[in-house]
Amino acid sequence: MAARSPVITGLGIVAATGCGVGATWNAIRAGVTGLKPLTLFSCPRYSQALAGEAQSDLAALGAPAHGSRSDKLGWLATREAVAFAKIDFKTCAERAGVVLGCSVGGSFDSERFLTTLIKRGKMRARPTRFHECVSVVDLIADQFGLFGPSMAISTACSSGALAIATAAEMIQAGEADVLLAGGADSLSRMTWAGFHSLLLVDEAGCRPFDAGRAGTSVGEGAGVLVLEAEEFARRRGATILARLSGWGASCDAHHATAPHPEGAGAVAAMQAALRRAGLESSAINYVNAHGTGTRDNDLAESKALKTVFSNRVPPVSSTKRFFGHALAASGAIEAVVCVEALQRQEIPPNPGFTTLDPAIGLEPVTTLRSASLTHVMSNSFGFGGNNAVLIFSQPETPALTRPPRPGPVAITGIGVVGPGAVSVREIEPLLPPETVTVHSCGTLADAALLTPNQRRRLSRMVQMALIAARRSHAHDSSQRLAVAMGTGLGCLEEGAVFIENFISHDGRAPMPSRFSGSVHNAAAAQVAIDLGAHAMNSAPTAGEISFECALWQGLHQLATDEADAALVGAVDELNKYPLSIGKRWGYWTGQAHPGEGAVVARLTRTESAVTPLAHVTTVRLGRYRRPFDAEREADWIAKAVDLETVDVVLSGAKGWPALDANYATVVAALSARAGRTLEHQTYKQLCGEFHAASAFGFSVAVELVRQGHRGVLLYTLSPRGAKALSCVQA
Amino acid sequence: MESLTKELKVRIIETLRLEDITPGQIDDDAPLFGTGLGLDSIDALELVAMLENSYGIVIKDLEEGRPAFQSIRVLANFIQAKRTS
Repeated sequence: MAARSPVITGLGIVAATGCGVGATWNAIRAGVTGLKPLTLFSCPRYSQALAGEAQSDLAALGAPAHGSRSDKLGWLATREAVAFAKIDFKTCAERAGVVLGCSVGGSFDSERFLTTLIKRGKMRARPTRFHECVSVVDLIADQFGLFGPSMAISTACSSGALAIATAAEMIQAGEADVLLAGGADSLSRMTWAGFHSLLLVDEAGCRPFDAGRAGTSVGEGAGVLVLEAEEFARRRGATILARLSGWGASCDAHHATAPHPEGAGAVAAMQAALRRAGLESSAINYVNAHGTGTRDNDLAESKALKTVFSNRVPPVSSTKRFFGHALAASGAIEAVVCVEALQRQEIPPNPGFTTLDPAIGLEPVTTLRSASLTHVMSNSFGFGGNNAVLIFSQPETPALTRPPRPGPVAITGIGVVGPGAVSVREIEPLLPPETVTVHSCGTLADAALLTPNQRRRLSRMVQMALIAARRSHAHDSSQRLAVAMGTGLGCLEEGAVFIENFISHDGRAPMPSRFSGSVHNAAAAQVAIDLGAHAMNSAPTAGEISFECALWQGLHQLATDEADAALVGAVDELNKYPLSIGKRWGYWTGQAHPGEGAVVARLTRTESAVTPLAHVTTVRLGRYRRPFDAEREADWIAKAVDLETVDVVLSGAKGWPALDANYATVVAALSARAGRTLEHQTYKQLCGEFHAASAFGFSVAVELVRQGHRGVLLYTLSPRGAKALSCVQA
Repeated sequence: MESLTKELKVRIIETLRLEDITPGQIDDDAPLFGTGLGLDSIDALELVAMLENSYGIVIKDLEEGRPAFQSIRVLANFIQAKRTS
């Protein structure tokens, strides 16, 4: 498997310290922090704190004129990484893709939309066009002409590292030869006021591991790696900068925002990464800590480090004071720092540290120093107790990662929270008049399954996900349980209420629980807390194929034996934003009606399933060409699935003539290949249109197989270019 | 003072979405956290925000606020003291 070992051939970065790897290392070498007073927007209530703000005019750096600020940051880092790797995607477009961590997404730009709406009563929907976290992924895939897998991972502050880990798994599994992997997040009023409202900001700038530390500094930026299969990189004569030798993910399953006090999940993720790399902890020469500067994180992380390294902790530093905490980008930015540290054989310092905290008992590296570095570790931890750890090694080191054990996986349970009826839902519109026929789940009938605290605290979307998860899985603490919950729009309502309130009150009146509940991984994290799921926890987001991305991640956790069972699903809620904005854009015309719902399937390896409902035999992700080429699509599908075993193609047709025609021509082309007519069925007439709807399609596929069909192919196209294929069989 | 404790109960129920509890069910001296109402750390942050939004009292560190959140009566006294100081 050494041939498929992931290696790094390009780096790109834009952050508070400047644009480019060179500028970044100059700042690190000089010990100059990028923190400065906030200029991007005004926030009178929280005006004192220093921000990790990148250059305000990104167009001046060459970023495209359209797109959100996060999109532009991601694009700039990608441009540098691609130039660095000297790669020509024309020769490998089908085998090249993008996996980026993103949690703020287009929020900064959507705030402009809400401000105009609230202050002037005008609906200018344009800035929301780039709201979704996957926007940056689609932009990059389109700009560079990539047709392999593309998705965003949105697990708050660990997103960037988890995206790199996911990309590594895709390379190792042979899903792609080259992936642009990293993370991008811009500053926003939301995260600025949100972190303040959680009392997690140190106005003087973060001081990681210092006795006087009093919080983090909110920042922004992007980091991107070009990740390639080793064999592919060597064949094209690329310069290999480093090997991504290990990666590990875990979930505290403890609390929505606070880390486990002993750092239990952090320990598990570091140990998983070491195991995957085939290394003893003593082999690690440097750890780039998560080190946010909050009281709780740094204490828990230091305990975890002492546990993993048996009190012989290698040199450690947190580089957060250089960049601020760039949230979903931070793990990616720090990955760039780690690869550069290996290249230069230098350990970056930990600015902000002056006084040892006896409770921590750990003194980080305070000045840049030369060192012999072979293996370095990078930690990232996020809200929801979401942990991801990466290990980078010198290119000459042997590749020791264990090969995956692919194969069919059993579906042993499925939980569906779907619409009870088609109704005209009474939803407060953004601007009247707005009446839309919707598929609503109505009052959540099974809400009695939830505890009073879950009912009062959690958003509708998270409640739907919890009920679906409870229906799919019986709690069993002896099993290592992974969770992947896709979502297209995430907890939109929580974030929107927070920011509407912020705008109406000029930044006063913070709402901390709305902020902590607004992260895309709120559903995945709450499912983990509810069911004691301590293995990988992910929240992929990729528009209409969000579910299939979760399915891929869950399957792969089983194939690599990182989990005994995986809960995979997707969820999206119906509220006034997609309703009103969608109506403005003409989404809800013809047969397309907005819907909502949550579906969770429980998967195990076939040999450990007692009474499987059905099996998942294939999951493939990619992007389609425009203009749409049905023959090419049929080729792609026929290569992945034995059409002999398929009776039904279940498509995401939704009443949009052009998109639906694409599905119909692909089914016709597949029928021609199979030499018989494959039945074309659809499901959105049952559940309505929402990003997570293909999860509902998956539940229909399972039901069709249970009714006697041999195989059902679930085929999904996103209007923004992504596609997915999965196959459910008896 | 009595009107302040009553007002606090209404605000706490509203802020923390304690839908199945009425102001009359909250004892002035019962602990708000742990036992009693069974609130947690995120509720504490919501109470900090509530103090700022409703009474203009800014708390920058949860440890500083913790003693004030012992019970409704202690919280009312805390607000009263801040108002007069």
